[in-house]
Amino acid sequence: MDLMAVTLHVNGSANRVEADSDIPLLWVLRDQLGLTGTKYSCGIGICGSCMVLLDGMPVKACRITAAACAGKKITTIEGLAEQADHPLLKTWLELQVPQCGYCQSGQIIMAYALLSEKHDPSADEIDQAMSQILCRCGTYPRIRQAIQQASEMIRAKDLS
Amino acid sequence: MKPFDPERRDFLKKSALSAGSALVLGIAWSGEIAAATDTTPGFKPNAWLKIDTDGLVTLYIAESEMGQGPFTSLSMLIAEELEVDWQKVQVEHAPLDPAYGFQGTGGSRSVRRNWKTLREAGAVARQMILAAGAEYLKAPIESCQAQLSRITHRPSSKSVSYAELVGRAAEMPAPKGVALKQPEDFRLIGTPVTRLDLADKLNGKARYGIDTKLPNMVYATIAQSPVFGGRVKSFNDSEIKQRSGIIDCFELEEGVVVVAQGTWHAFQARKALKIDWQGGKTAQLNSDNIIQRLSDETSQKASLILQRGEPIAQLGSALKSINSEYRLPFQAHMTPEPMNCTVGVENGRYRVWAPTQSPTSAMATAVKALKALMPEFSEAELEARIEIVTPLLGGGFGRRIKQDYVTQAVKIAHRLQRSVQLIWPREEDVQHDHYHPLTQHRLSGSLDQAGNPQVWHHLITGLQSSKYGADTLPYDIPHVRVEMLRLDSPVPIGPWRSVSNHYNAYAIEHFFDELARAGGQNPLELRLKLLTESRLNAVLQRAAEATAWHQQDQQRILGCAVHSSFGSHVAEIVELIRLDEHKLKLGKITCVVDCGIAINPDTIRAQLEGSVIYALGAALKPPIRLNNGRVEQHNFHDTPILSFKETPPIEVIISNSRLDPGGVGEPGVPPLAPALANALLSAHGTPVTRLPMKLNGAS
Repeated sequence: MDLMAVTLHVNGSANRVEADSDIPLLWVLRDQLGLTGTKYSCGIGICGSCMVLLDGMPVKACRITAAACAGKKITTIEGLAEQADHPLLKTWLELQVPQCGYCQSGQIIMAYALLSEKHDPSADEIDQAMSQILCRCGTYPRIRQAIQQASEMIRAKDLS
Repeated sequence: MKPFDPERRDFLKKSALSAGSALVLGIAWSGEIAAATDTTPGFKPNAWLKIDTDGLVTLYIAESEMGQGPFTSLSMLIAEELEVDWQKVQVEHAPLDPAYGFQGTGGSRSVRRNWKTLREAGAVARQMILAAGAEYLKAPIESCQAQLSRITHRPSSKSVSYAELVGRAAEMPAPKGVALKQPEDFRLIGTPVTRLDLADKLNGKARYGIDTKLPNMVYATIAQSPVFGGRVKSFNDSEIKQRSGIIDCFELEEGVVVVAQGTWHAFQARKALKIDWQGGKTAQLNSDNIIQRLSDETSQKASLILQRGEPIAQLGSALKSINSEYRLPFQAHMTPEPMNCTVGVENGRYRVWAPTQSPTSAMATAVKALKALMPEFSEAELEARIEIVTPLLGGGFGRRIKQDYVTQAVKIAHRLQRSVQLIWPREEDVQHDHYHPLTQHRLSGSLDQAGNPQVWHHLITGLQSSKYGADTLPYDIPHVRVEMLRLDSPVPIGPWRSVSNHYNAYAIEHFFDELARAGGQNPLELRLKLLTESRLNAVLQRAAEATAWHQQDQQRILGCAVHSSFGSHVAEIVELIRLDEHKLKLGKITCVVDCGIAINPDTIRAQLEGSVIYALGAALKPPIRLNNGRVEQHNFHDTPILSFKETPPIEVIISNSRLDPGGVGEPGVPPLAPALANALLSAHGTPVTRLPMKLNGAS
């Protein structure tokens, strides 16, 4: 494995790291940058606990190399949470969505990506997007409610 | 848990708390390895709470927070009597200490066993603050009142905050006995308060075991024998050690360990391991033959669990009889956070961050592991060198009652004599779980001419199976015999959310419908007629009303089941919608729970929703299968859990009462699978004798 210098733009700051050419972004975030809000759970791109935004698009951080993210804008849950007044974070809080909370960074990132693309997603579109993130505690009913309510808040703002 | 003892009020100052072991040895932990030892001034009347000079209240919760909500529910119990402002309450896991009794979370017991103790802990503290406040206000204590972190002299409305009273309160004698509030005076209990662990679970700051980072820490992973009990014969250690980022590679009793600079390097090296395994206890066994093989080998006989009425053999043959055999598979826990444990090592001492359901067991496990490596020390000496820290748990469901990852991490840390984090990759987690056992249920029953069940016979044969859930048949059937043949299991078995209630309730509740239908009776009506537990009867009645049970037709088919477990009573009704002649889909699931007094309705709702989804996954998704002694599955692709789009609408109805609280983490699990099977029996006319169920076509 070759070590290479990579500059990662994470949550608005540039980080220069020495990384293996094939190391997934997930492990650079967690072990090298200490951004542990992005979670490991399956490592094979199924569970979605490691979802981050790459130039605004949802990406599973265990399935993309850190090297491939050089020069792109990476947003993790720690960065997203800085927008504390975002409707999604408000409804997530109001509906008390998390239980163990382990998958919730992935859930919130995915929901954010969905609502960024479409302020008024259909039930089917919510299904398609959110079925990519698994939750063992069974918070799905509340996630659905939180997305629907956030969508209403965003649309009300669009109209005003 | 030991009864509350006010004499232990200043225990936090005096006892050799685990953090105090530093003093015992005269060596201080350095850097980040040191847990935050709280030395700030404040009022600490007992092990459960502290109020600091800013009025911030810290509560120490001795049950593991794994999503089921004890941080919040148990804090409510203390805060209710302490009369503090909920906005000023923060919470953390208690250290391991005898003051808390056995620290182990399971059996949906958290609220039940703390119900009185924690209210008393809060009340004692409140009385001391009240006495301090009266003194400060120069008023008789009888005319003062504690509310929202203030003591108020009612006649004059003069008041003083708890923050200002911290010093004085600590000097007050602890009352010998305290009166607890009556339910009508509850201010917090019964209200859906904000979870105390919520904010950090939305911003990435929540720290789970896997998020522990120590200075100069290295990362380890393990490969254990795919055949249970197998040992390493040889492996390519020199090749592995040459890989980039690899620090060490060695054999433990449990398997081969790789130590690396990062988790990724360790995982990649684990994949490159070529291990020659030998032996193993399960080599010839698979899911289809294991019950038969183990039954043939055992000299054990089935033991009697429950007997009522006449011995079964003496009953006449004039009754109409039916027989069934169900087989329920192994299931994995699939906690979202894989097994892991981090150990800080310094000067011969070990600080262990264990995301465990039992810090007490983690300590015993760590002591045992070190005793084998350092026999010259006594257990007590070793215990003084170990500290257990409990971070948040990314799911538990019973898996983290077992401590195998703690044993391994302690052994690895001892060998390396440096701080190390052990992480199992998901594949290791799936193949080395302590599984829900495989069980077989032989059932027979007889009906009289009017279609009323007269005879019930249930033989459970299972791997380390348990009688709970089958030891009290809740129906008025005159002749009952329940027996169990409990087989020693070469496959690791452990508690899985609701434990034996899951398989035993399936057998009882599905066979009940078979019997009812054989006698031409409506299964819900027959239950209401025969249920001997009035609370179970009441929840079923309520579920029947909520779902309009009697308005079923070919397009809308319902199945019901009931079960009492962990002190609570639950009825569930599953709705199937017929899309066309060949296709059914899940409709709404209705769950009615009587868990006594509802402490935090929001948590109860969340736990019941989660239980339904957990159980639905087990009913519909491929289970764990043993093949040639090894688990065939690897990861979420072949051990799927229920997904977002597969989750039907769920309605939870809480039947509130003033009775003592029952558990809520598990009781929602057992009725789900039989309720679904009963709906399918109604739709297709055939019982569901094997899992996973298929909504369409024979199962």
